[in-house]
Amino acid sequence: MTEPLLEIKGVRKQFGGLSALAGLDMHVDAGEILSVIGPNGAGKSTLFNVITGLYAPDAGDITFRGDSIVGLRPHQVAKLGIARTFQNVHLFPNMTVLENAMVGQHCRSRSGIFGSVLRLPGTKREEERIRVRAQQALDFFGTRLSGYRQEQPAFSLSYANRRRLEMARAMATDPTILLLDEPTAGMNPRETLELRDHIVRMRDEVGLTVLVIEHDMRVVKGVSDRVIACDYGQKIGEGTYEEVANNEQVIEAYLGTKAAG
Amino acid sequence: MPAGRLLRTGLVGGIVVIYIALVGLLAKIAEINLIGTQVTGARAVLLFVPFLVAYIAVRPRVVAGEIVTATTRDAATYGAIAGLGAGGSVAIALLFTNWYGVDRVGEIFIQVNPALLEILSFGKSVTVGAVILTVGGLLAGAAGGAFRTLAVSVRRPLATATAVTLLAGLLQRIIPIALVQLGITVDWLYSPATGGLTWLGAALFFAGSLLCSWGWTRRGKAASATVRTMVREQPGTRIIVLLVMVGVLATIPLLVGAVISEVLGTVMVFMLLGLGLNIVVGYAGLLDLGYVAFFGFGAYATALLTGATLNTTTGSAAPAFSMHLNFYVAIPIIVLLAAGVGVLIGAPVLRLRGDYLAIVTLGLGEMVSILISSNWLKPLVGGPQGMRNITDAAIAGFSFRDPQHFFYLALAFVLFAIFLSWRLASSRIGRAWNAMREDEQVADAMGISTTRFKLLAFATGGAVGSLGGALFAVKIGSLTPASFEIIVSITALAIVILGGMGSIPGVVVGALVLIGLPGLLREFEEYRLLIYGAALVSIMILRPQGLVPNIRRSRELQEEDRSQDKWAGDLAGDEDVAAGISPIGEGSG
Repeated sequence: MTEPLLEIKGVRKQFGGLSALAGLDMHVDAGEILSVIGPNGAGKSTLFNVITGLYAPDAGDITFRGDSIVGLRPHQVAKLGIARTFQNVHLFPNMTVLENAMVGQHCRSRSGIFGSVLRLPGTKREEERIRVRAQQALDFFGTRLSGYRQEQPAFSLSYANRRRLEMARAMATDPTILLLDEPTAGMNPRETLELRDHIVRMRDEVGLTVLVIEHDMRVVKGVSDRVIACDYGQKIGEGTYEEVANNEQVIEAYLGTKAAG
Repeated sequence: MPAGRLLRTGLVGGIVVIYIALVGLLAKIAEINLIGTQVTGARAVLLFVPFLVAYIAVRPRVVAGEIVTATTRDAATYGAIAGLGAGGSVAIALLFTNWYGVDRVGEIFIQVNPALLEILSFGKSVTVGAVILTVGGLLAGAAGGAFRTLAVSVRRPLATATAVTLLAGLLQRIIPIALVQLGITVDWLYSPATGGLTWLGAALFFAGSLLCSWGWTRRGKAASATVRTMVREQPGTRIIVLLVMVGVLATIPLLVGAVISEVLGTVMVFMLLGLGLNIVVGYAGLLDLGYVAFFGFGAYATALLTGATLNTTTGSAAPAFSMHLNFYVAIPIIVLLAAGVGVLIGAPVLRLRGDYLAIVTLGLGEMVSILISSNWLKPLVGGPQGMRNITDAAIAGFSFRDPQHFFYLALAFVLFAIFLSWRLASSRIGRAWNAMREDEQVADAMGISTTRFKLLAFATGGAVGSLGGALFAVKIGSLTPASFEIIVSITALAIVILGGMGSIPGVVVGALVLIGLPGLLREFEEYRLLIYGAALVSIMILRPQGLVPNIRRSRELQEEDRSQDKWAGDLAGDEDVAAGISPIGEGSG
């Protein structure tokens, strides 16, 4: 078997007395869509924060393409090719839609202070490239983020579009693996279905590996190659959607144990 | 609109008038004849304040997300009530003082004396004065309220013309001198007897500025748009426009004379500080209260590198370290060193945000002030006595110490700093700063090294600030630690905030207002900080985005208001709650 793209080995993270991650083991293979499910407080978002360097794990190791990424700063993780969205949308609300996406290209560009002040030819070319790449990322969502909307401040977008823009911004970092934290939260059923197709297209057309936290089981069922269920910071089930959905432990975590007798 | 709230708004105006009367400012401006002998500074204030509070009181309100404007008649009525509140409260204070006894009040408020009462009662008896104040306040208020309902195309020219005329009257010691220097006799414009404008002069100023402003509101936008497209499409035009602008700027010192040039020189030194601090605070969002450190560094580095000497009791002595570089050779070195100092100051505060950052930078700035006056560095920078014989930056014998010459050197520096700020703002670096200011953690997660870009902001901001210091050293030719105290940091920050954070034109306007006006109105020197404070408080209440806001920043503040209005409207559906939150923010409600 080939080496997994991202591997999480025995990662622990305590917050005071609370064990958000209690020795979690998992891996993500290149080119798959992996869903992480679990009840609220199962440690899913903490997992994302630990992977992207927002939190340092207390124990365990995380490797990306075989190299440990523990201890790297978030921007270094982003540069390696791991991009993310946030559970509560975090855009740069007063920058325009296009500028938001252009920020994504920051780690793929390099012009410094002299280039910027003197507007050297290289800087101009790079700026143009950033713009084109950002536009591509926005165009991924069809007409939703195109046209006049690109010059509008991000805060003026609808809720669903903010989520899309956040994904476009993450995609503009040219990642290898994209971490989506509850991408359909707060979307209506039609938007949810549309997004389900988008997630599949992210893999099929853009070639991304996608790790997604999701509560909407229709989406999980529709997109996942593999599903991992977590509870209390540990893996309690793994496999295809059907396997996990029928897993006793998973049902118990979601619904509680059957009453005795 | 409830009368109670209007009267309360008016009362605020009345308190302002009473306050400036108690601190003696009113008596001071009563001596100034603005127009003829009839319009004195004090009378203008007494009637303008009710006008202004009425204007503010009838501003359009947002009720549940909808903007509601009053009709002209309503606005006039509302305004009259507010004006009555302002004028009436002053009248009551006047009557009370008269009844209780001027001397007895004067024991507590030493500025209260019969002369002040005479000013407040327009030279008539106290009773008549109180009536004039009340009725005048009522009428001025009605006018102020009605003024609000005029179309902007009428309102703006009128306001501009009035402001220009009063300002022309106020600058009676400056403008005539400048005109005489140009060989124009001014007796018909400024009366030698009263000092202020003649009525003819006032009419001329009013008509002239009315015409200019009216033309600008009608055509200005279109004209500047035309010029802008021409500039964008034809590179040749760009050069012509640039040359014309530089040409206009270059004639300024010749036109305005030495006195105003001197003031403009100081303005431009602070403009540089504002531009530098704008990079740190406005672009990168790092609240730096120790910016004086760079000002001091630039000034003393200039002195040391260009061969200045120490001030001693017996004369002058050579400092412990000295180089005799040409000013223009020294400048690049100073800028690079200042950038290094920026990194040094930035490094320990990288992990701090907001308030903590402000406090630590404040401390670091103080350390620099203390160091330059310390005994430890006395052999190097002269301690409290400071340094002298600083280069005049002469090029081929053309000295820049003379205020009119200095203007050109300062202009070159300021234009350079503006160019730098502008290019940085619209680059990848500016974008990164912006993202970092809006949400540091997310910026980091999106691949921006916040460490590097914070240090970069401190370094560039520091470099520009050191240019201000270098300029200052050349301007005055000698340095003492007294020029490098915390007030410099505060002034620079005030310029940035008043003008509008992150806005280059804002810094220019902010420096002109905060440094230029006090520089021209020397007679109010003792009230300078009072006026500073009042200006900042009013700006924060009436126009929190600053005088010339950066588009993005004003969005930020408006967004907050809008969401709050919506929230309040949804929440209450009750007009009173929603009306309390207005688009320009009212404290009470």
